[in-house]
Amino acid sequence: MFTKNVILLGVFASTSLINAASASTEITGNIESKCVITTDATGVYGNPTTDVLSTLPTDGGVSPLIRFDILEGAAYKGVVSYPMQFTTSPVLNDVVNWTGAAELVEMSSAEMSAFETSKVQYENVTEFDLTIAGSAWFKVTSNAKYGYGKSFPGGTYSATIETECIAK
Amino acid sequence: MRFLMLLSFVSGCSFAHQWTPTYPELTPSYVDGVMSTMMVLLNKRKDVSFYEISVYDKDWNAVPFVTTDKIVNINYLERKRIEVFVRKKDRLSVTYVCSKSKIISTRNGDRLAIPSSRICSKIKE
Repeated sequence: MFTKNVILLGVFASTSLINAASASTEITGNIESKCVITTDATGVYGNPTTDVLSTLPTDGGVSPLIRFDILEGAAYKGVVSYPMQFTTSPVLNDVVNWTGAAELVEMSSAEMSAFETSKVQYENVTEFDLTIAGSAWFKVTSNAKYGYGKSFPGGTYSATIETECIAK
Repeated sequence: MRFLMLLSFVSGCSFAHQWTPTYPELTPSYVDGVMSTMMVLLNKRKDVSFYEISVYDKDWNAVPFVTTDKIVNINYLERKRIEVFVRKKDRLSVTYVCSKSKIISTRNGDRLAIPSSRICSKIKE
């Protein structure tokens, strides 16, 4: 009886030692500075009148939503450009007047509102200084007006919004 | 925030593009007079399967470089290591190494505003 108890105790002790050994297994990881550009919503042009294509929800469109995930503050500059031409369209015989904007709409930290107040705009480009780590969502609006009193011909239309993350 | 999360669910899913490291270093390659750096491209964009690699100086002028493919075919959720080679004489002018998504497909009747993503890493001085 005594011998059996000693054997059981020995088995229990060795199992505990194995558990203790497996509990000390390490998981290693590596954190490095990076910027990830994520398209949370692709834009869709609405056609409120025959001569206008617009991503504004009030015009029946969907505004593209782009997320920048920044792992380290002040390492990157975010650049968002609304389109100035179609990448796909039927033959257009008149000029297209483009307007648009890019704005910060949501952020993981309230301090990131500085991105919007210090943004720099020129032509169709908006630059954001990504000084704080976290996630920031940018909404882009795009509006194309065709000629004067003309209708867009029927067909497929697509345009590209350029989003860039440039290391500083 | 709740609206954005809802929008993400409604729009299907998010598509991301990742290009690391942020500050790569040029090191001598196995070819004499040629420097190289190793970049990693991760494609989490379902709508994109091609990325273009480019190299620029500090004024955004193109710098000659060589990779296995300048247009990289990469599947959704695939990670690729891309070695970029530049001439040793250009090593001081090389500043940015970039990858840019190439959007090629639209369906009939679509009216889309598609985001194209470009990420540029800066060579460590």
